Order: sequence, then C-alpha cells, then structure tokens
Amino acid sequence: MKRNIRVVMARLGMDAHWRGSIVVARAMRDAGMEVIYVGNQLPQNIVETALQEDADLIGLSSLSGNHMILATDVVRILREEEMDGTTVILGGTIPPDDVPKLKSAGIAEVFGPGTPLKKIIDFIESSI
Amino acid sequence: MSRLFHDDAVDEIKRETIHWQRDVYQSDKELEQVFETLSGLPVEPLYTPSDTAHMDYLGDLGFPGQAPYTRGVHSTMYRGRRWTLRQLAGFGPAEETNKRYKFLLKEGATGINGVFDYPTLRGYDTTDPYARADAGRGGVAIDTIDDMRVLFDGIPIDRVSSSLVTCHPICNISVQSMYFANALMRGIPLEKLTGTSQNDFLMETAVTVAPELLPPKCSFKLSCDAIEYCTKYVPRWNPISFAGYNYRESGCNAFQELAFVMANAIACSDELVKRGIEVDRFAPRLSFFLSAHNDFFEEIAKYRAARRIWFRIMKERFGAKNPRSLTFRFHVQTAGVALTAQQPLNNVSRAAYHALSAVLGGAQSVHIDGYDEALCTPTELSSLTALRTNQILQLETRVTNTTDPLGGSYFIEALTNRVEEETSALLDEIDQMGGIVSAVETGWIHKEISNSAYEYQLAIESGKMPVVGVNCYQMEDEELPIELFQVPETLAIQEKKLKKIRAERNRSKVQEALDAVARCCDQDGNLMDVLVDYVTTHVTEGEVSQALKRAYGTWNPPLF
Repeated sequence: MKRNIRVVMARLGMDAHWRGSIVVARAMRDAGMEVIYVGNQLPQNIVETALQEDADLIGLSSLSGNHMILATDVVRILREEEMDGTTVILGGTIPPDDVPKLKSAGIAEVFGPGTPLKKIIDFIESSI
Repeated sequence: MSRLFHDDAVDEIKRETIHWQRDVYQSDKELEQVFETLSGLPVEPLYTPSDTAHMDYLGDLGFPGQAPYTRGVHSTMYRGRRWTLRQLAGFGPAEETNKRYKFLLKEGATGINGVFDYPTLRGYDTTDPYARADAGRGGVAIDTIDDMRVLFDGIPIDRVSSSLVTCHPICNISVQSMYFANALMRGIPLEKLTGTSQNDFLMETAVTVAPELLPPKCSFKLSCDAIEYCTKYVPRWNPISFAGYNYRESGCNAFQELAFVMANAIACSDELVKRGIEVDRFAPRLSFFLSAHNDFFEEIAKYRAARRIWFRIMKERFGAKNPRSLTFRFHVQTAGVALTAQQPLNNVSRAAYHALSAVLGGAQSVHIDGYDEALCTPTELSSLTALRTNQILQLETRVTNTTDPLGGSYFIEALTNRVEEETSALLDEIDQMGGIVSAVETGWIHKEISNSAYEYQLAIESGKMPVVGVNCYQMEDEELPIELFQVPETLAIQEKKLKKIRAERNRSKVQEALDAVARCCDQDGNLMDVLVDYVTTHVTEGEVSQALKRAYGTWNPPLF
C-alpha cells in the first residue's frame, strides 16, 4: 500500500501570519496528507523535524520578507544533510523578482497570494 | 415610546410586500435564490418599514452623542471634527522611519501610526538568532530607549498624537515604557501625552503568534498593567486598542471580530475593577481597532452595532456613568486580506470603498492601505496615494455633511440589528466558557478563527466569492506596474548600536533593572511602574522579555 504523503509545515523565523499556513495545512489534510505543523522555526529545526518525521515535503510560509535568507537556508541545510529526496515549497508574499532566485536555489515551487489551494495540492501530488 | 411605525401601517406594508414580490418574481426559484453578506447573513431582495417596525427610535438609535450612540459618538460628528488621518508607517532602523513620519506629517497626516518590526513586536532584540532575518521588516526596529529617542526626534510629541502599534503586551510593556521615559527625558510631562498603544493579549496568544509565547494569563496581566499605569499617570493616553482588525485579518468574520474585541474589553474591565479602579476612570480610555472589509453595508452595520453593544455592556454590566465610558471609539484600517497581488493598482479602488464604509459607519480615525501591500511594505508613492485617497474622501465627496447618513435605511437598520444579535450570541458563548482568557487557553478561539479562514478560502476557490484578478478577470503574463519597496539595511546598523550600548551602559544598573523586573513578577506588582524608571538604564527589550519568560514560563498555542 502506498503511504500517505508526509508534510512538515513551518512558518519562517519571526513571521507572524499563520492564516495562510493553516489554511494550506488543512487543505493538505483534507487531501489525505499527513501534516506536521511546527509553527515558527529556524531552518535548522525545520530540517531536523523533517528528518525525524521522514517527511516527503517541507512547506514553508513567509509573509514578512525573510524568505530570501531563511527559505534558501532550509534547502542549503537539506543538501548538507543529504536529504535530497525532500521537496521544499514556499508560500506567502513573495515579490515576483525573487521567484527565479528561489527556484534556482532549490525551492521546488513558490505560491504567491491568491494561489488556489487546488494548484498547491496538484503540484504536491504530481511531484512526490 | 418612540416606535418607528404604527402596527396597522406595518401590517399593510407586509401584505403589499407579498403582492409586490409575486409581481416581480416570476418563479419561486427566482425568489429563493440566496444572497448573503460576507459573514453569511441572508439578505432579502428588499427591505421595508416592516423590517424595522419593532424598533424604538430613542431607545435603539437616539441622537449622535447620546445613548445608545448607534448614530455616532459625537453630537456633531464630522461637521465638528473630521476623522484623524492616521497612516501606518514603520520599517528599518529608527532613523529611516523618523524620516517617513516627518514626510507624512508634512503632507497632512494628523497623527502618527507607528508599527514595529517582527522581532520588536514579539519582544526580541534584533540580534537574537530568531530575529536576525526579520530585522526591520514589517516595522521599525527598537531595541533600547535610544532607538525610541531617534524615532521621535524632532517630532512634537506633546502636540502630535502617536499611535504605537505595540501589538503584543510583552512588546508593549517595554516599548511603551521607552516612549514614556523618552518623553520625560525631553521634559514633557506624562499628563501632556496623547496617543494609543495596541497592547492586546489576543494578538500575542491567538492572532499573530510568535515562538515562545507567554501563557495567556500572563500576557493578559501585562496588558492590564499598562492600562492601570496609564489610568494613574498618563490620563490622555489610550492604553489599549482591542485589535479586531487583526482578528479579522487572521480569519474572523464580522461577528467574531466584534465579539472577540468586546469579550477582551470585558475581561480587562473586570480585572481593572478587581484592582480597585472605578470603571469610569479607565473605561473612557479603552479604544478599539476594526477592519473595513469588502461587504460595504455589513461593515457599516458592524460599526453601528458595535456602538450599541458597547453602550449596553458598559451601562448594564459595569454600571458606567461617564458618557466617555459608554462610547465605542474606534480606528479603522482597510482590509489587507482583501488586497490582491494581481493587478495591484486595483487595490486603490478597493481600499477607497473600504474607507468609505468606515466613514459612513462613524470611525474616529482611518488608515487606508497602500496598493502594494500584498507584495511589500508600502513605498513612499503608495503611502502618499493612500493618504490622498483619505483626503479626497474627507474633502471632495461631502459625505461629512451630515451625521450617520444611512441611519433609518430599512436595510442598514435591519442589518445592524442582525449583527448585534449574532455578536451577542457569541459573547454569551464566551461568557459560558469563563471568558476570553479561558477561550484562548483551551484553543477555542484558534479553532474559531481557523475555521472561518478556511471557509473564506474555500468560497474563493469555488468561485462563490469573486475576487477580481484572482478568480475572475485574470490577466495572463501580467507585468508588475509598480516599484517594490526594499527594506533598508537594519541588522548591521542595530548590531553596531547594540554593541556600543552594551559596552557603554552601566552593567550593574542593568542588572538592577532585571532584578526589579523579576521581583515585580514574584510580588505580582505592576511591571510598567518598574519599567518606565528602568528602561533608562538601556536594558534591551529582549533582556526584559527573557526576564519575564524566566518568571512566567512559556506556552505553545494549540494552532492545528
């Protein structure tokens, strides 16, 4: 039997906005995924949790503008830990100019404000 | 009695309404089609006197400036005094925000509305590992009283009122103390200061949570400490602004927004009375902060209902007599969640409609969002456009000519009544749970907000709720027509400042400050009493927060 997709959801650094991350987490759960919601965390802790939980995917949320520093740190630490099988996606208020930079750093996909939940779920299901 | 309509007339109108509906609607299906407000109230095809027939003019509406204040808190409203133009501003180090404040004041803003960066709002120093990546983001970075000095340098704080968006009590207790201590150092007595601080424990524990939160009871205590302090020593300061706006932004509907601010205000009032302060001493300075969201009429009804509910709470529950205690005074910000990153210039018109609803609802001050806020911190151009939108509303539209212009509209009055009913039902539910602090401790509040937020998103997904540019009228390959704001370098600057301060300050004085904080926690004293004196030692905000967490412990909110 195929196991359910396991997701670690985190908000980056000090970012205060939890609405987006919770709404997306609930949509993931409704789509049959197992979601471990860890709240505000620094990159090192996010990667450690993903390792412990054997996560297929890390979902990051940031609306504060810290994504260029912290989201890229998450993928860098993942690479150092040789956890190349873990996909990382990011959602929040991300200026369009940052998207190509984030993708080339190793973020699989970036979802800005107004993204339909279905698009996020479809992306996860097709890439895991 | 001043009943609005006679029973005979109402009966006849009811009969005629049925005839009219039969003529207009050809099929039952047409008539049964459901229209709803944004918060889910059913809306009839037409409202008539029969919808407001049971109302008593003097008891339910009255005159502006008189009980039950449904029509406004001031007798002449905007004819006598226009709403304050209070544009939110804050980013980077204090030097940069000080420039933006001066720019906005020069361009006609009539008050300061200062927001702090994520680390400051959560009680962290800029140099904390958690904080570094968020330095200067979302607001200005404040670590010590020296940043506060720079932030208000050259601004006449004895004349200009300052709203300090110190959302979390753990932030407010230090940052507010720094503001007061800085005023004293400038030779301005505390009695002369006017302004508002946010200081809302729901923000800290349910709405914009951070890592390592204080337990709800302790956060609530800090918020009441500031109210008590201001009541005694800073009589013209509003020591709390119940942040319904932010509750709404995180997912609440209109009734939850109102019920949660009221329940919070009730809890604070109970606590202050318990501390031996008469209701009419502190209640005149309790203030409220609400959202202006998409449903134009529902929002107007919300503001009108809020005034009536508050009047009844203060009068019946607390026996308040001072008219200022009985009046619900509020600041409005246009809804950030309603803004779109797609086709961002559309946000100028969105926010203008939002602001119009606030003004037709009798707001005391209004902030209009910048059109770029779904993408970044507002640029100078978007801030200026927002300020000008506010000025156009105030000076060109003539909506200020008369008071409560929609009062007496069958629809508005019926909707005001419905909002009041829904809000009161929620308030009863919270009362039965033992009040707002318990409702937070059990995670009930978090669940309520999260359910509403999810429903809202599903309504957008299904197309039930149209959002122009997002689920309809999208544009392929849209080029962004605006310049985005870049946060100025903050971390390196704050690091340098902190290093210098730490080297130069008197270490034993700082230790004395931290000991005093710890002792005050042990003895259950008022922490603001202690901090207004001790922030002058250049103890940092983060050091104070750490001392509070050592004394009170921390708490994980039940978010998911």
